[in-house]
Amino acid sequence: MSEKLYSYTALFNSPNEIIHAAKVVAEKGYTKFDVNTPYPVHGMDDAMKLPPSKLGFVTLFAGLGGIVLALLMMGWMMGIDYPVVIGGKPFFPLPAFIPITFEITVLLATLTTVAALLFIFFKLPNNKHPLHDTNYMKNVSSDKYGIYIEAVDPIFNENEVKELFKNLHAFVVEPIYFDKEEVNFKPAIAEPKLLAFLVGVAIFVSVSAYLHLNKLLYIVPFSWMDKQEKVIAQSTSDLFENGSGMLKPVEGTVARGFIPYAFKEKPEEAGKLLVNPIIPNKENLALGKNKFNIYCSPCHGYLAEGDSRLRGQFPNPPSLHSEKVRSWSDGRIYHVIVDGQNVMPSYISQLSREERWAVINYIRVLQRSLNAKESDL
Amino acid sequence: MSSVTHNEIEYIKKDLPPFFSKLAYGLTAVGLILVIFAYLTDPTRSAFNNIILLMFVTSIGLGSLFLVTIEYISGAVWSTPFRRIAETLASVLLIVPVLAIPIYLNLHEVYHWTHLNVVANDEILSHKSPYLNQSFFTIRIIGYFVIWILFYFLITRNSQKQDISKDQSLTKKNIKLSAIFIPFFAITVTFSAIDWMMSLEPHWFSTIYGVYYFAGTFLSSLALVTFLVVYLHENGMFVKGIVTDHYYSFGALLYGFINFWAYIAFSQFMLIWYANLPEETFWFINRWEGSWLIFTIIFIFVHFIVPFFALVSQPAKTNGKRLKFMTIWLLVAHFMDLYFLVIPTFSPNGVSLGWIELGFFLLSFGIVFLVFSIKSKSINLIPLGDPKLKRGIDFRL
Amino acid sequence: MSSIDFTRELSVVEGKPPLRVIDEIISKPLDSKPDKKFYIALSITLTMLGIGVVGLGLTFFYGIGLWGNNNPVGWGFDIVNFVFWIGIGHAGTLISAILFLFRQKWRTGIARFAEGMTIFAVMTAAIFPLFHTGRPWVAAVYLLPYPNQHSLWVNFTSPLLWDVFAVSTYFAVSFVFWYIGLIPDFATLRDRTTNGIKKIIYSLTSLGWRHSNRHWQNYELTYLILAGFATPLVLSVHTIVSFDFAVSILPGWHTTIFPPYFVAGAVFSGFAMVQNVLIFIRKIFNYEHIITLDTLERMNKIILLTGMMVGYAYSMEFFIAWYSGVQPEFFAFMNRAFGDYYWAYWIMFSCNVFIPQLFWFKKIRRSIPFMFVIAVLVNVGMWFERFVITVTSLSKDYLPSSWAYYKPTITDASLLIGSFGLFFTLVLLFTKSLPVVSISEVKAVVDGSQPSHGDH
Repeated sequence: MSEKLYSYTALFNSPNEIIHAAKVVAEKGYTKFDVNTPYPVHGMDDAMKLPPSKLGFVTLFAGLGGIVLALLMMGWMMGIDYPVVIGGKPFFPLPAFIPITFEITVLLATLTTVAALLFIFFKLPNNKHPLHDTNYMKNVSSDKYGIYIEAVDPIFNENEVKELFKNLHAFVVEPIYFDKEEVNFKPAIAEPKLLAFLVGVAIFVSVSAYLHLNKLLYIVPFSWMDKQEKVIAQSTSDLFENGSGMLKPVEGTVARGFIPYAFKEKPEEAGKLLVNPIIPNKENLALGKNKFNIYCSPCHGYLAEGDSRLRGQFPNPPSLHSEKVRSWSDGRIYHVIVDGQNVMPSYISQLSREERWAVINYIRVLQRSLNAKESDL
Repeated sequence: MSSVTHNEIEYIKKDLPPFFSKLAYGLTAVGLILVIFAYLTDPTRSAFNNIILLMFVTSIGLGSLFLVTIEYISGAVWSTPFRRIAETLASVLLIVPVLAIPIYLNLHEVYHWTHLNVVANDEILSHKSPYLNQSFFTIRIIGYFVIWILFYFLITRNSQKQDISKDQSLTKKNIKLSAIFIPFFAITVTFSAIDWMMSLEPHWFSTIYGVYYFAGTFLSSLALVTFLVVYLHENGMFVKGIVTDHYYSFGALLYGFINFWAYIAFSQFMLIWYANLPEETFWFINRWEGSWLIFTIIFIFVHFIVPFFALVSQPAKTNGKRLKFMTIWLLVAHFMDLYFLVIPTFSPNGVSLGWIELGFFLLSFGIVFLVFSIKSKSINLIPLGDPKLKRGIDFRL
Repeated sequence: MSSIDFTRELSVVEGKPPLRVIDEIISKPLDSKPDKKFYIALSITLTMLGIGVVGLGLTFFYGIGLWGNNNPVGWGFDIVNFVFWIGIGHAGTLISAILFLFRQKWRTGIARFAEGMTIFAVMTAAIFPLFHTGRPWVAAVYLLPYPNQHSLWVNFTSPLLWDVFAVSTYFAVSFVFWYIGLIPDFATLRDRTTNGIKKIIYSLTSLGWRHSNRHWQNYELTYLILAGFATPLVLSVHTIVSFDFAVSILPGWHTTIFPPYFVAGAVFSGFAMVQNVLIFIRKIFNYEHIITLDTLERMNKIILLTGMMVGYAYSMEFFIAWYSGVQPEFFAFMNRAFGDYYWAYWIMFSCNVFIPQLFWFKKIRRSIPFMFVIAVLVNVGMWFERFVITVTSLSKDYLPSSWAYYKPTITDASLLIGSFGLFFTLVLLFTKSLPVVSISEVKAVVDGSQPSHGDH
């Protein structure tokens, strides 16, 4: 206990007495006084001459804010950011927004009101108030009615106040002093304990958010057909010595229906040894034309003149009417189709063997159309 | 400390201000003349408007009787000093059968389902004909009138007897009567609304219709009771000791029922709008096209948005001036509500407003005020013998 | 029964106990060790809860295929239980908010308890929709509008999403309301207790409340504001629950009376549940003077009234189904009453409409065994009401080829049992950890606790 006086207190036994006391104290002109009762006593606000509470305004503005916020949120999300027609309703279906608008309004208004009440109006939590842990507090929180006048009241005078309370027939009148730490009490926001607590909360929230988002969300509690007994490509297996689920095929393995190309990177040999197996006729020339138009013409042009439709995007492909190409054997052209040349890739996967030869026949037709032999005339 | 006089009830019976009865007579006279001319010029239109008149007066009378009964049942104390106002207003129920006669004479003009040849060719209407036929209709409306007037007499007689006898057992009797009245009230208010108004559109149906009409009934009768309480109190004709706490209770209850009406109206609209079934939506579409759209939007503001904000704050609920203005406003809003329910059937292409409508509007207010001013001459305006009266006056929040 | 004297206010608390005695009575369960009866009760509820946890765990692991839901009955016990429990919660808010607005002082003895039951009931209810999403661990992602890489938003025009907002708002507001009411009581307990640990806990939870009148003034206003918001909120919650059904076009679901009808039903079942539990509480903790027989009688009157409202809605539905002349609509109702599930319909009708009519008799209204049995039956009836609405309409919808009979599985049953287990476990723990009757409010309504009028 320090010697600094906080207030003088008086205790009464009945609600009528306390109302009377509050009236008298208020009429004497004290302003820094308060009444403590175990429950709200009717008519006390008038007796103490308290101005009407301003809390209603907080509620009103929070509520209006809620309405605006909810409508803007839903209107933007459903009507502007990602408009979807739902049930044939307009993009801003006001009747359908009313339930959520109402809920958000109520939520914001009530929570704001309560937060304002506790933390702004009451300045709670405050467990360091001088009244705590006094005999006075123990009585008023059970069955007595107390009134106190603070020492900081401008017209406070210790003896006068004592006399006043006595005249009001208080059964206990006693002073309350500040505790030592209370004298220096500041509502410290930067108190280390509080900061530590906040840091703790922050860590807890982030860890749990991380775990939820990254672990829990991806737990698959029932795995219908995600997990199967077979070995999945790229996965490991104990069956083989190297632990790999897939082994390399034996050297020289050939896939079914696949004939290896013997002249890889040997264009000259291919030109010499490969022979066109297809005898041109109406059907395979039509096939060749079709495939040429699909696969070759984008670069070489429909007439094989190198007039690419993709002109400019790649180096222009050569004309197939050049002396060089005309003098090539069918096998040499075949090699270009299979192996590619310069920028041109291999067309092995697009064209079957038969189609390649058919295309070559069609190229020959195109060449003959520009450089006809005398016998054609 | 305490004054002794406080324990006695200071009430001196006074006549109503002459202005009030003059206004009542004036409204009724002008209204009646216009209505008679209306029936001579356009009986169909008049009959439709007559339905509004009928349902408006029913709202006031039946709603007031309901207010009386819920006070008995709930054991409410704050409203006891004002119960006699509601009882007096309930006497308009005696006029209601008279107001129904002109409609009954023009039944064929108004109700589609009374035409037997139409019903025979309409599958839905012939399906409904066991309910919607003229003889059963007649039996039903007579039944409603009998029930209402019977309960009106039973309940108010006991209450007036108590003024002299101060017999507490009468309160007990009335509590029992009120409890029995409630189920009858629920059924009659629902089916009278269905019969008089919903069957104007015999193809349309809505299960909430009775509740919707009830919400308007309660709100309008409460508004009128509040108006009279504030008016009489300000003119010093009421018992001493009425304070803002009483006003606040009225204001809060009004405010609650403004919201309740909006809730019911919104529920009905929302469900029909959302499900979008053609057999239901046409009713709202009729009220959402042409000049009806303007009317409907004004109606929403008049019946909900304006009163909502006008009575939202605590000071507004205790302010006599504000209460008087808003209660009359709410009565007009209820009239509009009935107009919204009835008239689109008569003129689906646009709002019909003219001297005929004005006549019925004036008459409906006139009748209510006139009945009150005549009836109030012969009785005390507070239930002097009610055992709860003293507590009611001393009521504090 | 001698006649009541109407000139005098009925005492809310019988016998005018001194205020200090009220402190003692109410805080006694918190200061004393629980007795054998408590442990027996707790072990029963925990067993039920255990059954529920097993069912829930299986559902979590294997998915909702374990439930009886089929096609077309996509909503079964899950939605039935959800609506049932949300409804139970409504009585609490009604008692604490609406009766507060109507200045019904008799609510004080039961308000705290009913509010607690609201919170527990909402918690219980929330389990079912969460598990019905199929992947409850990502439910937040489905249900909340949060910015995501798909730039998708939740569907704000869906009544199911309205439910999310309504139920979470309801929970938050009920909780705040409850806590605000507890603060002065915590302060009283703080100043009473001699135990160091309890003192710290109560100091923290009371936030340093000082019973100051400058605080009481704002506190009472806040309470009024909260009650003012909670009242439309409680209407909105069950209204929105009813929208889940009524905005559809399914016969038997799409009917405009659903919103008020659901609210009345919710209050009906909630009051029955509160009454049931209170009967035990007042007996066990000797609260007969605070939770009086008069209070219980008033609750029974409300049960009677809301029961009649529900009966009104049943009848109106049936009448309009016929009156509308819409064939599927009328079929749906005939099917309810006389179809496959006729037994459920008649359980519902007799428990909700016929049996509560017994409360017209004063003797029955004031007889503890009778009112207990009636209230239990009311809850059975209200559970079946939701069952009838949900299942009958779905099992026979517009398309006869897809009609199917719904049969709940053992998992469904375990979840139902578990929900009761969870609810009653929470209730039991509540009675031992917090004051189940509001100390400050009861003090305020004891005879002679308010200054006599006269000096104004």
